[in-house]
Amino acid sequence: MLSVTNLKAAYGKIEALHGISFHVERGEIVTLIGSNGAGKSTTLKALMRLKPPESPIVTDGDILFNGESILNTEAHNVVGKLRMTLVPEGRQIFGNLTVLENLTLASWSNPGDSRRDLDHVCGIFPRLAERMKQRSDTLSGGEQQMLAVGRALMSKCSELLLDEPTMGLAALLMYEMFRTLKKLNEEGLTIVVVEQNARLALNMADRGYVLDTGEIVAEGTGADLLRSPEIKAAYLGGA
Amino acid sequence: MQRRAINLFFLIAAAGLVLATKEGFFDQYILTVFMFMGINIIFATSLNLVNGYMGEFSCGHAGFMCVGAYVGSLLSVAFFSSSKLFGDPLFPPELAPVLFPLVLLLASLAAAMFGLIVALPSFHTRDDYLAIITIAANYIIISIVENIDAIGGPRGFSGMKRVINSMTDVADLPWMLIWVLLGAFVCITFLYRLMTSTYGKGISAVCQNEVAAEIMGVNTNKVKIIAFMVSSGLAGLSGALYAHVYGYVNAQAFNILKSTEGLVMVYLGGMGSLSGVVLAAIAFTLMVESLRFIIPAVNDLLHAGGLLPAAFELSQIWKWVIIPLILILLMQFRPEGLLGNKELTHVFPRLKRWVSFK
Repeated sequence: MLSVTNLKAAYGKIEALHGISFHVERGEIVTLIGSNGAGKSTTLKALMRLKPPESPIVTDGDILFNGESILNTEAHNVVGKLRMTLVPEGRQIFGNLTVLENLTLASWSNPGDSRRDLDHVCGIFPRLAERMKQRSDTLSGGEQQMLAVGRALMSKCSELLLDEPTMGLAALLMYEMFRTLKKLNEEGLTIVVVEQNARLALNMADRGYVLDTGEIVAEGTGADLLRSPEIKAAYLGGA
Repeated sequence: MQRRAINLFFLIAAAGLVLATKEGFFDQYILTVFMFMGINIIFATSLNLVNGYMGEFSCGHAGFMCVGAYVGSLLSVAFFSSSKLFGDPLFPPELAPVLFPLVLLLASLAAAMFGLIVALPSFHTRDDYLAIITIAANYIIISIVENIDAIGGPRGFSGMKRVINSMTDVADLPWMLIWVLLGAFVCITFLYRLMTSTYGKGISAVCQNEVAAEIMGVNTNKVKIIAFMVSSGLAGLSGALYAHVYGYVNAQAFNILKSTEGLVMVYLGGMGSLSGVVLAAIAFTLMVESLRFIIPAVNDLLHAGGLLPAAFELSQIWKWVIIPLILILLMQFRPEGLLGNKELTHVFPRLKRWVSFK
């Protein structure tokens, strides 16, 4: 459903992606791994069509969503019409609003039946249900991450992009987050996840792409990539 | 129903005020202070939409007030009074009390359109750049007006008193007080409704985190431009009222000092607090007016005590030392303003029975 062909993207004059191609099928979990500065977050921002200066300008190539180019689609329409959204790096929740306010704000693009979506999110993250009236910047890191994912789910997306959802989380919470993502995927959500913890991500993902300085250097199923000696050496900490 | 009590209270208070004025209870000066309070409320709450709720920084709000003041004045003179500029009135002057709201509406729309012209190029930039652009816009508007000789240029424009007089001929009421009260009521209700609507939530989201707002499907450009247009439109309304209260309008009345007054009121009340800014506008008007008496009194006192050289007089210009000083002290000791982003009902929960702000 999502296909990227020879995508080149730049921040001003500095090119960050030198022509990458990959595709995501409906119902898949795809992971992008790579070291810092490889272009993982840049790719997600380009997919979301976020505005510069925070996000890059596409200089060449194309992004197709269900066969149609979305290069001229604005971010709010990517969310509102294409039903694809992003859990951004560093969560970016609305700190001085309560958990409930964060979640209801997120149903902006479909104000209709937000009550049911809210119950759905509370079912997935019972911890958020307990904290509804609490200011969200008083939540723990793990809870904030749950809120960030919950907020994305409120916009009723069918495709979810996640930028380092486990950043700053304790190991146990990391596994929990990935279990939740897996469950959401089984319910039909297509997931693209950028992750520093390559082993964890590849274990969960159907397929993975390895990025290095703006280029895709390896691709394959999660299991294949986990076995590959080069990947092991470069990203999984040796043997 | 009980929560509507604030509307009822306002209505009774306004009716009481109009009646008391009609019976000659207040002298002209007190009446003018009341009207300036209303105008300042409109001016400050509209600025609060951009600087408070949306978290941008507009520094040239008085420019839009200027547009509203001139458009409103020109229209009302053209509509209801014979003048050298426009010749005979377009409508019979007896219609002035009925059609005056139309003048106010058109003045607001003109200011909103000017807001759009400023917003379109400037909202591709953010923060400091918007502040600089709005200051520039303020100066541009003043320069344009001062260089159109047909509307008086730097000499200013007058004739609105004739329009007010023809209203009084129809019915002997304090018309300008009525229009100012009505304007303030419409402005506050409109802003309250806006901020509790879906659009208002979009405005809050943009203020908090633009990227996050965008990924929730908020069209941030559209929301920002609409908020800016509403804000400048309401500033235009305050300008049109201001011009008619004075009966005379001059572009220099809307220079950067006027914009600064708006900023002081917003920061005094608390950014993003509707009730706070309303209170601040009232307090600020009272303070500025009381300085008229305090400064000469202090001057006399200092002279009597021999603390000032005989040739040195404290003039009203000291107002412009004291007002910015308040801003500096406020930023130092209470940067969030009197109420911060809270409403009066958060500070005094008992009020919730009578009024709801959110």
